[in-house]
Amino acid sequence: MGRIIVITSGKGGVGKTTTTANLGMALTRMGRTVALMDADFGLRNLDLLLGLENRVVYTALEVLAGDCRLEQALVRDKRQPGLALLPAAQNRNKDAITPEQMQQLAELLTEKFDYVLIDCPAGIESGFKNAIAPAQEALLVTTPEIAAVRDADRVVGLLEAHGIRKIALIVNRIRPQMVQANNMMSVADVQEILAIPLAGLVPDDERVIISTNRGEPLVLESNLSLPGIAFSNIARRLEGEKVPLLDLDAPYNTLIGRLRRFFNR
Amino acid sequence: MTCLLVQPGAAGLDLTLPPELDWSHLQDLLQQYFQLSEAWWLPQAPVRVVCGARILDGEHWQWLSGLLQKQKLIITTVQTEARATAVAAAMAGYSVEQGIMPPPTASATLPALYLDQAVRAGVEIRHPGTVVLVGDVNPGGCLVADGDILVWGRLRGVAHAGAQGDSRRLIMALEMAATQLRIGELVARTPPSTAFYPEVACVQGDAIVLYPARDFGRTTPGGVF
Ligand SMILES: Nc1ncnc2c1ncn2[C@@H]1O[C@H](COP(=O)(O)OP(=O)(O)OP(=O)(O)O)[C@@H](O)[C@H]1O
Ligand SMILES: [Mg+2]
Repeated sequence: MGRIIVITSGKGGVGKTTTTANLGMALTRMGRTVALMDADFGLRNLDLLLGLENRVVYTALEVLAGDCRLEQALVRDKRQPGLALLPAAQNRNKDAITPEQMQQLAELLTEKFDYVLIDCPAGIESGFKNAIAPAQEALLVTTPEIAAVRDADRVVGLLEAHGIRKIALIVNRIRPQMVQANNMMSVADVQEILAIPLAGLVPDDERVIISTNRGEPLVLESNLSLPGIAFSNIARRLEGEKVPLLDLDAPYNTLIGRLRRFFNR
Repeated sequence: MTCLLVQPGAAGLDLTLPPELDWSHLQDLLQQYFQLSEAWWLPQAPVRVVCGARILDGEHWQWLSGLLQKQKLIITTVQTEARATAVAAAMAGYSVEQGIMPPPTASATLPALYLDQAVRAGVEIRHPGTVVLVGDVNPGGCLVADGDILVWGRLRGVAHAGAQGDSRRLIMALEMAATQLRIGELVARTPPSTAFYPEVACVQGDAIVLYPARDFGRTTPGGVF
């Protein structure tokens, strides 16, 4: 039986779908089989990020209605045969599916895949409840901003109330220069509030946006960029490897930078 | 206050469902209340659910009784103003009291509510007695007590002690960095926290004042320390 992990955040636009796509790819590169479930009914875009949009024929709804088999709805990735996407319906609202149905689909998927990653929609309403219903674990994505962290904190409370206790944190879009200039929350600040273990740190990097637009996850590059390394490190940690945290400060940790920080204190 | 209220009632416990919240939000609140709280009630205590005008159907009652069963609580009575709710409750086998929502009754002899997990953003816990929390109140979290509030951790959200108007109540925290403190009818904002020592908030005259815990007993005659 595979692990069912929901990628969630509370606040919108912090990088859930980007994280889901890259972790899926990274895990398959490590030899695992991974099913990605898009739980963002109505606003699906996981297929876009993976560059699989033109291959979507059926969605989860047709599977549930018995109009097709699960196997037919799964979109297999030609670049990574271990990876499959179960698309969400584009034109239905979030109440088109129930938590029990999500559970049913996820359980079918765990029979065939090592991992089932669920891309959760923003918010804490019915779409969120659908997405977390099947999950045993959660990866909580936040950016180092007060509003995002507040929402993330709220989500931790809701996950715990739903019995999901294994929760790890991904801090996305970190800008070390801004942290050093005291213009952004540091990872320590974020962790102090959320008090859950870190799964990884991802820098703010335009290559993430470029890869999103091209539908080519970063972890597929042969020469990994810093954010690409960041995502594959998270995948390795999921697999139980002890990988030290990326030192995002390194490029700025010059003598002058340190002196400046010292005098700014 | 959009707070859930669990308090001793005529027979066992009264569970008052706040009327403003939609069902989904109410479900979250109920789950969080029971997950955070150590049982202060007796096992198998009978529960009266006070619904006001809220419409609850058979499915709602099934969910609620399932949740309460896990806490060793048994719904026996339903208080409602709505006919549809009365019918569904009777079908589920509960005795029904029809009429307008009774005002909550304060009780001085209520056991303290003991919480052993962080009160996170979006969580509001209300108790008609004293609340003891081992953990932090995060920004966006809220504790309301008719008695005192004791936080063995960082208080960064909102705390309201003496919520029924009792200004003799205290708020104590290992680190007082509350967004807002309220005691009785008074409201105060705490200065940005520089202090990392335990503090006590109490009412003096017509203002809320903060004392380092070690000075509290000396400066306030009859203080608790
Ligand atoms: N580390 C990063 N650096 C730069 N841009 C990023 C980074 N992570 C995400 N982005 C950009 O932020 C935008 C939102 O990302 P994404 O769609 O993954 O967020 P989401 O949490 O899934 O949003 P929604 O809540 O709408 O589903 C995208 O344009 C993406 O390219
Ligand atoms: Mg998304």
